[in-house]
Amino acid sequence: MFQNRAEGFALALPAAIFAAVIFIVPVIILLSGGMHVNGHWTLSAYTDFFASSLDRLVLWRTLKLGILVTLVAAIIGYASAFAIVSLSPSSRGRMIGIVVLPLMISPVARTYAWLVILGRTGIVNQALMTVGLTDEPIRLLFSQTAVFVGLLQLFLPLMVISLVSALENMPNDVVPAARVLGANWLQIFFKVILPLTREGLVIGGTLVFVGSVTAYITPAILGGSKVLTLVTLLYQRVTIANDLVSASVIALILIVMSFGTNILLRKIATARNRA
Amino acid sequence: MKARLPSYAVLTLLVLFLVGPFFVIVAASFSAGSTLAFPPQGFSFKWVEKVFTVESFQASFALSMFLAIVATFAALVLGVPVSYALSRYRLPLAETVRTIVSSPIIVPGIVVGLALLRYLVVPFGMDITLSLFLAHTALVLPYAVRVVSASLENLRSDIEEAAVLLGSSRIGAFFRVVLPNIRGGILAAFILGFVTSFNQVPVSLFLTGPGVRTLPIDMLGYMERTYDPSVAALSALLAFMSIGIVFIAERFIGFSRYV
Amino acid sequence: MIRSTFAASAALLTLAAGAMPASAQEKTLTISVYAFAQDAYNRILYKPFEEKCGCKLVVETGNSAERLAKMEANKNAPVVDMAVMSMADALTAARRGLVQKIDTSKLDNYDKLYDLAKDPNGDGMSVGYTFYATSIAYRSDKMDIKSWQDLLSDKVVGNIAFPNISTNQGPPALYMLGLSMGTNAPDLKKPIEAVGKHAGDIVTFYNRSSQLVQLFQQGEIWAAPIGRFAWEPISKLGLPIKWAKPKEGQTGGLNVMVVSKGTKNEDLALEFMDFWLSTKVQKDLADALVDSPANKEVKVSDDVAANITYGAETAKNLKLIPAKVDLENRDRWLKEWNADVAQ
Repeated sequence: MFQNRAEGFALALPAAIFAAVIFIVPVIILLSGGMHVNGHWTLSAYTDFFASSLDRLVLWRTLKLGILVTLVAAIIGYASAFAIVSLSPSSRGRMIGIVVLPLMISPVARTYAWLVILGRTGIVNQALMTVGLTDEPIRLLFSQTAVFVGLLQLFLPLMVISLVSALENMPNDVVPAARVLGANWLQIFFKVILPLTREGLVIGGTLVFVGSVTAYITPAILGGSKVLTLVTLLYQRVTIANDLVSASVIALILIVMSFGTNILLRKIATARNRA
Repeated sequence: MKARLPSYAVLTLLVLFLVGPFFVIVAASFSAGSTLAFPPQGFSFKWVEKVFTVESFQASFALSMFLAIVATFAALVLGVPVSYALSRYRLPLAETVRTIVSSPIIVPGIVVGLALLRYLVVPFGMDITLSLFLAHTALVLPYAVRVVSASLENLRSDIEEAAVLLGSSRIGAFFRVVLPNIRGGILAAFILGFVTSFNQVPVSLFLTGPGVRTLPIDMLGYMERTYDPSVAALSALLAFMSIGIVFIAERFIGFSRYV
Repeated sequence: MIRSTFAASAALLTLAAGAMPASAQEKTLTISVYAFAQDAYNRILYKPFEEKCGCKLVVETGNSAERLAKMEANKNAPVVDMAVMSMADALTAARRGLVQKIDTSKLDNYDKLYDLAKDPNGDGMSVGYTFYATSIAYRSDKMDIKSWQDLLSDKVVGNIAFPNISTNQGPPALYMLGLSMGTNAPDLKKPIEAVGKHAGDIVTFYNRSSQLVQLFQQGEIWAAPIGRFAWEPISKLGLPIKWAKPKEGQTGGLNVMVVSKGTKNEDLALEFMDFWLSTKVQKDLADALVDSPANKEVKVSDDVAANITYGAETAKNLKLIPAKVDLENRDRWLKEWNADVAQ
């Protein structure tokens, strides 16, 4: 450790000042705009937001989608992570590579693919009609289901990677030991594996949830104006109505959801670890 | 573990779900028909060719390329010193500094874009390209700090202290001893930053002006007007570009360690 | 190694910088227009104008409401020199001080315009360049549309796109729906409620007409209320799509040009507007089935006339919502829409 503080600050300050000026200050001004209406300080924009049944519905829908995507990602994530750690080391590396790869591909391209898959002439409908489950193509686009599937595909890799590294760090002998002691698989999962991989689940869960509730592309393309989420609602408020006040209310809610999830889940993780 | 069969079944489904859509776009982009359909109607290169003739794609590709390179470079110029200071110096307020430089990753992108538009671009008449550059630099900064910090943590600090004791200047020691040892991390940070910036949508959503649009934003607009397979072709090309970059990075520096 | 990486990055930087659009030495005019038919506009209007004036046109696209919001955000330093919008949005822009008086003495083609296009809001702030009919485009193999009400019938409603309330087509389409239900009240309460009842069935509420082409093409929708300007690409899809002639009549609108207040390129903007209103450009746009002429000297073939909204008589028969009524009721419509439809 070097002790020269002046030198240390000289190295750290440019980045800190840059982030503060370019980023933190404008965001704070934006957020304060939601509490400063017609020249005085008030929370009326917030009461308006929660009084509007549309706004409440969109908030609820966004939360619901985020929770659902996180839950399903956790279930698929555990199943996949178990399968991945049971592979030989070399195929494990290759498998992780395949899982990481989609993260590097443009989300626009990845969401676009779902238009091909879920459209009336898409694969899903063709398959359903070939099998004879339906005579007429069913409508899948512009629905919550489409948005859910798109978000899940977008963020699932984050959950899988987090759980794989959590499982890799779990001692090898705990599962066999629990088996010997007569525990069934359900007990083993909830009593042994879950507590030992909690950290990974929390990290993965935070990334998936925050990613889902703050996504723009997926709800915009696959949901359209029928499945508004907080982010697409914010976009409409700004671009169509030039309504900065209500946009800043939504912005604060988004930030609270994002920061709040981070803090809450970290608390849960450390509290349980101590217990 | 014994459960071989179920585990292969799970992995097959996972790969199908994660990577399958990618093959769908590739297949759709070689379609001979004019609608987006799967299986594609016939085979042709016409949509791939069309991508290169759309004027706005050329301009927005150049802008996105420019931004991704310059912003990532700037983020490293800012991020390497701050990472070094945080790992090698006893700084008061070190946690505050870390929180400030990592904050752009936690605040939703659309909020960042809106804040910059309304409180930097509009009041100061700032150029849109400049604002995009600043926004993307701020966005890449947390990744740069995280990856470079991790490399620095793995590098023992006594070698540079030894270099200083042997009479090298602190700066000399940094360039001759530290930098060569964390170049893998810096390269990984560059690639991660490049990909993040290049694919970025929410931050750039509001930061557009007449004739100034990043490629993903341009694609979103184009898609709204037409479903023709040219966007599929462009998506496939971009995906191949990303895969190529990641593959090369994996070969040379073991990229996935840093993600 | 690291130095060569930086050197390579620097080289790439220079390359990328070279690929950036060169900062224009020449005069630049920035316009904001609707997103449809940009290929045709490019060929007929933009490119010829650039050649004529020796300047560069920068084109931004979006719908009328988006344009208005953007102009308001950039009020103090206008980004766009000239824009086109709906009559009602032009009136709003005028009231909010976003646009300036148009010096019609500099528009040589002004006198050639139909009277209703000359100064539609009566404030000297806008000039009409095209009017259009709005009716329903529908798949004749799947349904028959005889009344606006047919849109909401059980067999049809699950396959339609309806214009969002914030678009130019939204309120007029609701107005016609109201007429078909026997009410012409400007509050649009009944038609909004009716659409709200079917909100779950309707495929989507579209924001830009340009989206409709692919929705029809992919078979996602079978019918939608559209403006005539969006008809050409839809009619050429090779699908059995017809333009409805509902018994309640057709609605429509007038699109106008405005000049941003405080623009530094007023003369160039007026030159461009005059070019757009000229008989040749208006005729070519009509022949391309993009915009119906507002210039009365334009004569088109019967074939073209059948496909666009042509002539003063047609224009007079359209059932339009006056801009003032639109503005007075807009907040109310939005509220009703948000309560009944958007959820």
